[in-house]
Amino acid sequence: MAEKKRPAPTTAERPPRSSADRKSNAGNTPEPWEMCARLEYGGDRSFAWSVREQVIDSGPEDRARIEDQLLKALALPGCTDAGRAFLCQMLALVASVKSVPALAALLKDGKSADEARYAVQQIAGPEAAAALRDALGSLSGAPKAGVIGSIAHRRDTTARAVLAGIRENPSEAPVVREAAARALAHLS
Amino acid sequence: MNLPALPLSRRRFLRSSGLATAAAAAPLILPSGLRGQNAPSRKITVGIVGSGNIADSHYGALLGDENVRILGVCDVDRERRDEGAERVNKAYGNKDCRAYADFRELNRRTDIDTVFVCTPDHWHALVAIDAMRNGKDVYIEKPMTLTIEEGRAVVAAARKHNRVAQHGTQHRSMKRFHDVAEYVRNGGLGKLHRIECFIPPNNRHCGATWKTEAVPEGLDWDMWLGPAPWRPYSSLGCHYNFRFISDAAYGQVTNWGAHYLDIGQWAMDADAGGPVSVEGRGEFPSSGLFTNATKVDFTVRYANGVPMHCRTRYEGGGTSRFVGERGWLDIARNKMSASNPDLLREMQAPGKKIQLELSNNHHDNFFACVRSRGKPIADVEIGHRTTTVCNLGQIAMVLGRPLKWDPVKEEFVGDDMANRLRGRAMRSPWSLA
Repeated sequence: MAEKKRPAPTTAERPPRSSADRKSNAGNTPEPWEMCARLEYGGDRSFAWSVREQVIDSGPEDRARIEDQLLKALALPGCTDAGRAFLCQMLALVASVKSVPALAALLKDGKSADEARYAVQQIAGPEAAAALRDALGSLSGAPKAGVIGSIAHRRDTTARAVLAGIRENPSEAPVVREAAARALAHLS
Repeated sequence: MNLPALPLSRRRFLRSSGLATAAAAAPLILPSGLRGQNAPSRKITVGIVGSGNIADSHYGALLGDENVRILGVCDVDRERRDEGAERVNKAYGNKDCRAYADFRELNRRTDIDTVFVCTPDHWHALVAIDAMRNGKDVYIEKPMTLTIEEGRAVVAAARKHNRVAQHGTQHRSMKRFHDVAEYVRNGGLGKLHRIECFIPPNNRHCGATWKTEAVPEGLDWDMWLGPAPWRPYSSLGCHYNFRFISDAAYGQVTNWGAHYLDIGQWAMDADAGGPVSVEGRGEFPSSGLFTNATKVDFTVRYANGVPMHCRTRYEGGGTSRFVGERGWLDIARNKMSASNPDLLREMQAPGKKIQLELSNNHHDNFFACVRSRGKPIADVEIGHRTTTVCNLGQIAMVLGRPLKWDPVKEEFVGDDMANRLRGRAMRSPWSLA
């Protein structure tokens, strides 16, 4: 439908035309990888932008090094919630089976399971599938339902028995049992 | 759910909300005996999920349609849902329309036939799929979904549950867009050289940093975020402005691009397919809350070699322009022009060999299909394919490299990173499953 008309942008609102492409206005940070672990919501993210560019521009031959850098930053003490979310979103683009152990640990914690799934859901292979199944025993409530959704999305039929058990378990939260039921329907 | 046929001529679409309100209050159009579940089955009942900017555009037409009855309004913002329900009840002169905070509650009402999905983009797929699972036909605002994976899931749900599902690209129901697509299909421009789609500027500059704020009373922020990654509330990144943040939308690429690229798809006879390659360069903010391209420039190319460009235009608004060996046609909502007036006359002349389906009203077409169980003019497969073109452009601009696309397999050829961008994990507990 027609949207309400928005006023034309003023000169000040327009993006600078001098910036030629997505690289042009990136921040110039000495150690952007470490800075990403300290990212805060609402704070300057220009260093994250430069990391994002390196991730996106990496060729297949360079992905392993990029993945290592991201994992190293993710392991830094005091990694913030925003930093962890960003790093996992970047891992979603390049992560391989090498990332699974670090992500598996995050998957088992309800506070970080969602962010870990950003990356794990994208990693092909049995290792990532196993990490998702293993996390079910450590989680409850919404994060557990989220993991079940990722299992269904990956069409992991080996999880059917586990999911059936969850669906029938009266001690599970309704949101979890419903997620299991839907996952089973999705896998059938 | 099958409704008896009703002559379309009885419909009276009153465009302005003022007229709609006045007309709806008149006993001739809405007899006082029509109440809730006792309403005659000939009236199609409607639930509206998302009662903000885009829903505002639907209220006027729906309230002016004597064959439609809105029974429920849902929004995670109490003020918006209460205003929406009050608007409906005032128009009908009763208290039958209920306000809901959770779309699932509305979707489970057995007396609602259709659901209008008017939420921010990141919610479209989940709301629509849940509605179809619960037996509702759906009208899904554009863009149909946020991601390519979501789009395919919506189409699958529509087919599985045998639902009528219309994409809100109403240019398909505007004669000038129909005429240009039909004219191009018939070779009216001779050999087609290219299609150019211009979209309005993307966003406003909001600075390199932003302040988190307390969630306003009455707003369920967790539900507003839904499947999108968590972030703290900021009024800058909620109503309307959500479209400038890639967690929730892809800016004008999907907002207006969905309209103008859609007509290109129609003219290219690509409603069940799409382009085979894409490349693009976008300007993205390197900091701040807004993350979508401030300047859009991408090109998709079809198998026959015809390119379709999509670019930001700072003056002049959106348009679909078709350039061929006989000249060009430029078609916008409120104006059309051509390199030669004869082309416009030919374009509007009847009797072409290839004739495209003609719809004069997008709502009308949807409700007619709800009754006939036919496919609407912008069926979800068509909507998915058009939204995919938007997504291809977004992904190409993000990656900044040329990509090959297989429209049959719906995957990029030889680019794993691009393929990973076709979908994303949803924040719990939400899932496409």
